[in-house]
Formats: sequence, C-alpha cells, structure tokens
Amino acid sequence: MKKLVINIFLILTIFIIYFLQSNFFTWFNIAGIMPNLFVVIVLFIGLFASKTMGTIYGIVIGLILDLLFGRSVGIQAVSLGLIGFLAGIFDKNFSKDSRMTIMLMVLSSTVIVEVLNYLFKYMFEGISVEVFNFVKILILEVIFNLLLTIILYPLIRKFGYDIENEYKGNKILTRYF
Amino acid sequence: MYRNKKAGTVGIIITIIILILIVIFSNGESNTAFFENAASNLVMPIQNGLTYLKNKISGNNTFFTDINNLQAENEELKQKNSELEQSLRELENIKTENETLKEYLNLTEKYGEYSTVPGYVINKDISNYSKTIVINLGSDDGVSENMTVIADQGLVGYVVSVTDTTAKVETIIDTASSVSCIMSSNDESIVCKGTMDDDSSLRAMYIPTDSNIAQGESIETSGLGGIYPKGIHVGTVERVTNTQNLTDRYAIVKTAVDFDKLNTVLVITNQ
Repeated sequence: MKKLVINIFLILTIFIIYFLQSNFFTWFNIAGIMPNLFVVIVLFIGLFASKTMGTIYGIVIGLILDLLFGRSVGIQAVSLGLIGFLAGIFDKNFSKDSRMTIMLMVLSSTVIVEVLNYLFKYMFEGISVEVFNFVKILILEVIFNLLLTIILYPLIRKFGYDIENEYKGNKILTRYF
Repeated sequence: MYRNKKAGTVGIIITIIILILIVIFSNGESNTAFFENAASNLVMPIQNGLTYLKNKISGNNTFFTDINNLQAENEELKQKNSELEQSLRELENIKTENETLKEYLNLTEKYGEYSTVPGYVINKDISNYSKTIVINLGSDDGVSENMTVIADQGLVGYVVSVTDTTAKVETIIDTASSVSCIMSSNDESIVCKGTMDDDSSLRAMYIPTDSNIAQGESIETSGLGGIYPKGIHVGTVERVTNTQNLTDRYAIVKTAVDFDKLNTVLVITNQ
C-alpha cells in the first residue's frame, strides 16, 4: 500500500519536473542553458529505492521524452536507464549522508547522460560536431544542476530515507556504520 | 543527522541567492532593465523636483514683465498646434494604410503560389542540445512528413513526424539540420547548417572560392535537396570568417525568424 503511494508521488514529481523544464526554466536560465532535472530524479530513485526501479523509471522517462521531442526513439531511454543502473552501484559504494557525495554523483551522471546523448545523436542523426560549444553548454548545465542539488538536498534526504526504509527495510546496514 | 541544522539552512539560502543572481546577470539587458527601472523610479521624482525648483528660481526676474506678451503668444501657438495635430493624424492614417497594403502585396508575391495552413507552436524541446518544436497541426489538417514550415519572416524548418493532431518540426537552427541555399545577388549555392552557439544564427559552409560574399547579403533556399521549395527567405549574412585556406571559410547567417519568440507558423501543404 505504501509502495503505491510512493510510486504515485514519484510520478507526480516527474510531471512537476516536466512542467518546470518546459515552462519555468525556459526563462529562469543561465545564459540560455537549462538544467536537466530528469537526471537528478532518476539518480534519486535508483539511489534510494532500488537498482531495478531506477532503471525502469529511467527507461520510461527517456522513452516519453524521445517520443515527445526526439527524432530517433531510444536515445534518452538508454542513457537515463543507464543512470538508474549506475545509481544502484553508487548506492553500494558510497555514503548518501554527505551532501558532497550526492553532488559528485549528480555531476558525474549529468556528464554521462549528455555525452552519451551527444554520441548517439552523432551516430544516428548525423549532427555536426562542435566540441567546444558542447563542452561550454555541458559545464553550465552541470553547474546549474549542482546548485539545484544543494537547494534540494534536504528534501532529497528526507524523502529518500522514507523511500529507502520502505523498499530495503532491515537490509540497510551501511548507514549505521 | 549529526550536522548543525542552522548552517545547512544558511547554505541553502546563500545558494538560492547566488543562483538567482547568476540567472539575472547571465541573461543581460532583458532582466537588468527591470532593476534599472526600479532604481530610476526611486530617484527620478526627487531629481525632477530639484530641477523644477532650480529653473523656477533662476527664471524669476522676468516672470512678471513678460506675462501679457506670453498670454497672446500662447493663444496663437495653441491654435497652430491643433491644426498641426490634425494634419499629423491624417498623415499617420495614410502611413499605416500604406504599410499594410505594401505588406499584403509582398506576402502574396512571396508565398502566393503555395497553399498554407496556419498553426501555433505548442511545445519546445527541453534539451539544451536540440531545437525541435511541436505545432498544433497533424495529419487531420492535411500535414504530412517532410512538409516545409515557414513563418511570415522566413523559413522555420520541416516536419519530421506527425500524429493525428500534432507535428514535430525540426528547425533550421538544430545542429542536425542543413539547408541548401543560394545568395540572392549572384545565385551561388551554399549550405547553411545549424550551430550550437545561439538560437539565431546559422553557419554557411562550402562557399565557392571565387565568389564574393558580403555582409548584409540576403540568403534564400535553392530548392535543391527535395524538402524546401525554392526562394524562401532564410536570413542575412552577418559576418564572413576567413580562415587560412580559402576553401573552408565560412559565414555566419542571421536567421530572419526570431526563434525565441516564434509563435505562429505556416505549413506549406502543396509543393
């Protein structure tokens, strides 16, 4: 029962993020660059719920984004799914109590998603490669994502531990060492 | 858990302030104008009052002597003013009428041979790297893949995929897009590709080595390539960048359409 509530809550959050991305961040941006909060939510689900759930959510969100905006279906699905899977690995190896590690995870996953997307697009859609401009946009996007993570960290930790207690229950050992 | 809670809140507030400041200052004039206005509104009434007082005091010695002359002059000027205003209004009417007539004439000249369907932009891509838009026309309105999309200023892009009620349009500023164009003055062909740099410029490549390309030159589609019909305005040459080798010099073309404010589009349904 509680798992159902959690899933409804997560889906609502994804909708809110979608509307933020398509409306709010189109004018609240750094030099025209928007953040990518979908990476943060998929990382968050994989980190606190479970590896499988992160992967499934990543693939579903990615597919929806591909169908809405993309030219070739599957690019975002693969990269976001990979982030959900990676989050499970992060969960095993790093502590989630520190703001710093969460920030480093957000940094690395944003970079991985955008570089993968760019590579796939280069392979399937034949875009012209502009490394300098790409890196410039990527750095701004990472900075924006990191600032948002700092702001959202208390929320992430609070809801994160609620979800973790529900999904992992008494299997959590690392937190008490 | 174990950390000082107060320090965390202060950190969050500082981050929010920094984020807002970065957003404001990175977006240039459009946002700072608001603060400039606020500052000037705060100071201007006092400034105006002081200036008024100063003028009053310095012009004080002639105030009473000229008063009769001034009254007569005032009457005369008022009458003249009303006459002038009348004629000005008439002229303005004629001017706007002239402009609209000219506009109609141009539009029919330019796009008269195509039948178009008007539509609205309902969604824009949320990624930083691609610039597709979604419009509210679908296969129900007779739109199908590879149709050209224009706005009243010029070329927008082409339809990539359609559903029953919406269509996905790849704009010409997307990095995956390239348009075959000609320079209108000498009919030499170039290829305009989208760049990641900003939302209003294209990179014109493959400029013939013996051709002169000048600033302000008008660029339009060539009709080659099978998607875009011939003669649709794309933009104007903003600057030409010469490289060491003449064969790979390129030009930056400013698009005629303002993609940030793009709202209404036309889809060409017969080509």
